[in-house]
Amino acid sequence: MTTKNKLKINIGPQHPSTHGVLRLVLELEGEIIKSCEPVIGYLHRGMEKMAESHTYLQYLPIVDRIDYLSGFFNSFAYCNAVENLTQIEVSKRSQYIRVLTMEMNRLSSHLLWLGTFLLDMGATSPLFYTFRDREVILSLFEELTGQRLMYNYYTFGGLRHDVSSDWLDKITDFVKIMPKKIQDYENIITNNPIFTTRTKNIGIMSKNSALQYSITGPNLRATGINVDSRKTIHPFACSPIQLIYPELDFQIPTAQNGDSFDRYKVRVEEMKACLKLISQCVDWLKSNSGEVISPIKQPLLKVPEGEFISNVEAPRGVCSCYVKSDGSTKPYRVKWRTGSFYAVQILPKLLENAFYPDLMAIFGSLDVILPEVDR
Amino acid sequence: MIKKSLKPFRDIIALALGHLTVFKHVFKKPVTLEYPEKKLPLNDKFRGEHALVVDNEGNLLCTACGTCQRVCPSFGTIEIEKEKTEDGKFYPKNYTIDLSKCIFCGNCVQYCPFGAITMTKEYELADEKKSALKLDINTLKKNYSDSIIGERDTSKR
Repeated sequence: MTTKNKLKINIGPQHPSTHGVLRLVLELEGEIIKSCEPVIGYLHRGMEKMAESHTYLQYLPIVDRIDYLSGFFNSFAYCNAVENLTQIEVSKRSQYIRVLTMEMNRLSSHLLWLGTFLLDMGATSPLFYTFRDREVILSLFEELTGQRLMYNYYTFGGLRHDVSSDWLDKITDFVKIMPKKIQDYENIITNNPIFTTRTKNIGIMSKNSALQYSITGPNLRATGINVDSRKTIHPFACSPIQLIYPELDFQIPTAQNGDSFDRYKVRVEEMKACLKLISQCVDWLKSNSGEVISPIKQPLLKVPEGEFISNVEAPRGVCSCYVKSDGSTKPYRVKWRTGSFYAVQILPKLLENAFYPDLMAIFGSLDVILPEVDR
Repeated sequence: MIKKSLKPFRDIIALALGHLTVFKHVFKKPVTLEYPEKKLPLNDKFRGEHALVVDNEGNLLCTACGTCQRVCPSFGTIEIEKEKTEDGKFYPKNYTIDLSKCIFCGNCVQYCPFGAITMTKEYELADEKKSALKLDINTLKKNYSDSIIGERDTSKR
């Protein structure tokens, strides 16, 4: 029998490299992975069902917990869907603050990914440097919202409170020092022969398979397909935030090969693009004033009947939120689509006939966050 | 062929550059903080343990309207016993917050129509007994007066 020489092993569910609780059932033939089966669901909290028993406002803080590393994006997707259903206008200033906080959130999320990815591959120094810089962003968020990860800052039709000019000055200082820090990471990592030999031509995702598995975000852009919902307008959604992004000047980085190294490269370039966006938002906010507090003051919000899908380009791919309302104070149905879920699905294909030591170089580069997969 | 023969040299340069970047950090100040001895300064918006606002005459601003219960995402966190005074005003006879259920989202503070509840900067909330995590009205009043003074005796809890 052919199965005689095969070895079945379990990775996880509690393994430090899986960034959460993912279990991988691997079938090895010597050092070569013959098949891989990801087992998900260990972190299932019933986020979608929970929405049906909560009012629209009560569900808002829970939304941040779907992806705890980029809470602003989930919050935005949900708020945007409800705003579109109730036809609430969002002022331009609050939209700019939303873009500013979201881009900072993307930066902090990518910084955490970079540190942990390299830690999985055996490099310890970058972890300390990225966490040091991420700490700056998190303390800025704490100053603005009151907490480091679970912000609960957006409300339907606006924000909880305005940003202060002191806070904007702090961001300006941060944007000034950050390019040097990113250059430091690149000095350590990009041309390092150990890193390049471990990641180049490893875990190659072809354009076709990426599209078949509906991969989005930096993983897709690493294969050479330039799709970003910040630039391209989604056919099913007309989010108010699309009024803001065309006003800003930024480039969407892409790569060609779709291997682990390209996914790293795209994310590092995206961090630089984030800084560009942040400084533009800060400039606008400093020179313009306006109202950010939502016109809706009552806690019980009645949403008219209808359905809406809102899309936002989260750090791990397109995050979309589908809200269906039956006219009452509670949502009839809320459905989430998050990027990590699809990245886990393509993992068996990427791991086929790969070497076992390459497992973490492939899995780490996909930037999977398990709370987002299981919800 | 020339390119290939140069590869070891480029690798050595890249490794040296990386090591130099890491080595530079030896001369930098440490960014870590020795936590239990030293603490980070917190800002006013920090969402910690709750407190009920008391005015200058020692009365609670709370009218037991129940808005905080209705906006709370975690059911059963806030429990209010409503009472009526002789002149027809409502007041809370007892007001309990279960910290083991609270997710510290700040909805109750945001949507209180009277500004009667706030959040203090207290975040070291672990305790041996679960009953200690249930804050009654007296504890919540005391939290407020302590948060104004800025001192707190945590040994008694």
